[in-house]
Amino acid sequence: MKCTMCGTASGCDGCPIAGDFYLPATLASLAAGEKATVRRLAAAKGGDLRKLLALGLLPGVELEVERRWPAMVVRMGFATVALDAQLAEGVIVSRAA
Amino acid sequence: MKTGLSYAPPPMSHTAGLLPDETAPIPPDAVAARWLLVGAPNVGKSALFGRLTGAYTTVSNYPGTSVEVTVGVHDLGDETMDVVDTPGMYGFLAVSEEERVARRAILEGSGQTLIQVADASHLDRALPLTLQLLALGRPLVLACNLMDEARRRGVAPDLALLSERLGVPVVGTVATTGEGVAALAEAAHGAPVPVDGWALPQPFADVVALLSERQEGVRLLDAELALCGDPEMAPARSAAAPRLWLAATSMRDARWGAADGFAVALATARRRMALALLDGVVPDAPPERRARRAALDRVLLSPWTGIPLVLAVLYLGFYRFVGHFGAGTLVDLIERVAFDRWLTPPVTAGVNALVPWAALRDLLVGPYGLFTLGVRYAVAIVLPIVGTFFLVFALLEDCGYLPRLALLLDRGLKRLGLSGRAVIPLVLGFGCNTMATLVTRTLETRRERIIVTLLLALAIPCSAQLGVVLGILSVYPAAVAVWAGVLLVVFVVVGALAARLLPGDPPSFYLELPPLRMPLVRNVLLKTLTRVRWYFAEILPLFLLASVILWAGELTGALRAATHAIEPAVRLIGLPDAAAPAFLYGFFRRDFGAAGLYEMARSGVLGPAALTTAAVTITLFVPCVAQFLVMRRERGTALAVTVLVVATGVAFATGGLVGWLLRSVGGWA
Repeated sequence: MKCTMCGTASGCDGCPIAGDFYLPATLASLAAGEKATVRRLAAAKGGDLRKLLALGLLPGVELEVERRWPAMVVRMGFATVALDAQLAEGVIVSRAA
Repeated sequence: MKTGLSYAPPPMSHTAGLLPDETAPIPPDAVAARWLLVGAPNVGKSALFGRLTGAYTTVSNYPGTSVEVTVGVHDLGDETMDVVDTPGMYGFLAVSEEERVARRAILEGSGQTLIQVADASHLDRALPLTLQLLALGRPLVLACNLMDEARRRGVAPDLALLSERLGVPVVGTVATTGEGVAALAEAAHGAPVPVDGWALPQPFADVVALLSERQEGVRLLDAELALCGDPEMAPARSAAAPRLWLAATSMRDARWGAADGFAVALATARRRMALALLDGVVPDAPPERRARRAALDRVLLSPWTGIPLVLAVLYLGFYRFVGHFGAGTLVDLIERVAFDRWLTPPVTAGVNALVPWAALRDLLVGPYGLFTLGVRYAVAIVLPIVGTFFLVFALLEDCGYLPRLALLLDRGLKRLGLSGRAVIPLVLGFGCNTMATLVTRTLETRRERIIVTLLLALAIPCSAQLGVVLGILSVYPAAVAVWAGVLLVVFVVVGALAARLLPGDPPSFYLELPPLRMPLVRNVLLKTLTRVRWYFAEILPLFLLASVILWAGELTGALRAATHAIEPAVRLIGLPDAAAPAFLYGFFRRDFGAAGLYEMARSGVLGPAALTTAAVTITLFVPCVAQFLVMRRERGTALAVTVLVVATGVAFATGGLVGWLLRSVGGWA
């Protein structure tokens, strides 16, 4: 995979410039079957944020999208949670390579 | 402790602030008054509670069924222990009403031993709460439940190692079989106060300490939650001196941006601590073999297959089993055989022989007698229908179907101003609207609670009503279709209108999906029994009361007058005057009114068009007395009365319209 910033063919692994660089995506934008790591929570309302915390969607958590319709179904380890697209918009993830 | 955690043990003064009594740690021998079960939803907390106490509350696979805090007694041989079951909570930063209830139960009680119940397969999700509980400085035991599932998945935790690291007993349990329950009770009995050193990690502790160090009454946890932006923690905020609050929030905002950032950073730090604690405790999970479950979930959750499946469940479970078997076969058996043949004749004969006064005889065995009307309706007509309904509901609940139904219907319900979570009270309403109105507490916003309360009162027939109405209409399949169609239209129209008219934000949907599990016969039967017992204890007095009122009304002529008074309304929707008493009964219980119609249908007073009209009107008609009382208690008098007025208006307007349409269409004698 090519580096998304400078185009180096080896990708970003171990790159001293990029460091913890990642391409942000929202959980809502992931397709079914895609894996990702939660990076940041950006819920618009405090209430929404607490819901995400209750579901265990915390920075550092690895997840896999099982389906997106009629609502997002996300698996984290042995736990499976469901949330609507509006809440999923508030979860910023980086796609697994 | 060798946990590899990089935070400094806090000064003593910080933890002291967390104790209910700010002076000294509670001596271990004075605390053994109560056990408090706490933990996330779906970890088998209620089942474990049942095992510990022998008494049984409702065990649920669905987050949100155990709304109330339940108390039981554990027998230790020479002494007994009160055991309290709290609603499921994910953490102290509460989202739902239930979490607030659980939080209060923990924070307000002092000296109890806390038993945290966790799912042994995802301890990483449970340990952040454990860390918060440890910081409270109260005796704590961690119960790793569902150990059988964890072993099957190859992720069974090393309990001894975890116990050593946490400094509190850790016990593996399987609530469904009873494995480890005795060991848990033993551990809870002698549970020590956790060693010091479990307060907040740095740098959070410094910020929080600003609020609690010199302020009496502001405990560390309250301060932490206030800084996380919890709206309920305003008292903690106002208890702190404005200068200190300003200092703490400035420090927080400089580092984490705002309350939300602080909350996320703190939760992330706790998760990291949890993962460090679990390092070496939980074996690395082998790739999960979950192909079959995933395939089943795909079928259940995809609208293309899921919706037909819902219809199939409705048809088989509710129409065939509850409607035909419960309301047909069982009612016939109990009413015609047990009552009409065996019970009623000797009771009537006995009363007639023993009681000389006609009025008293009527009170017991007359047309509105306590026995002939109250007991017979309750036991023979309502009980079999409600019993079969609760059986089906418990089955769906226990296997984990309800959360999937919630997910499937979320989009549709959003149009009615509700989220998928609302399916639980709505489906339960088909069993008993009163119980369902209580369960609306599990909904997040007042707006959702009001909409569901209204829909329950109006368009959801309870199972007794449903059974009787289906029983009456089953002779005319087209009538059933018309009746169901009209109810659906009213449900959707009223819901959509309410969603538009009521102020407030649209709800959001979030839910944990527990794995699909084979329902356990024991669980299902006990749940059914618990609910039937609740229902029966609640309705029998009302049925008896209704009998007495009707008897007194008959005796004094008030009944005749009241019947005459509603005859114009009944005639207005095209029904014969003879139908008026059925509506009068409806005031006492909705099913009671339906049961009155049942009598008329059997005696052939009503034709199909009139029957359909009557069925529609009586289904939409006012909620029963019990439901009204619960509505008043939960939502206030003003709302309860509004619902009553709206329901009556909509019922007669719809009834009149349907009656007129059916008569003008023709072919409906």
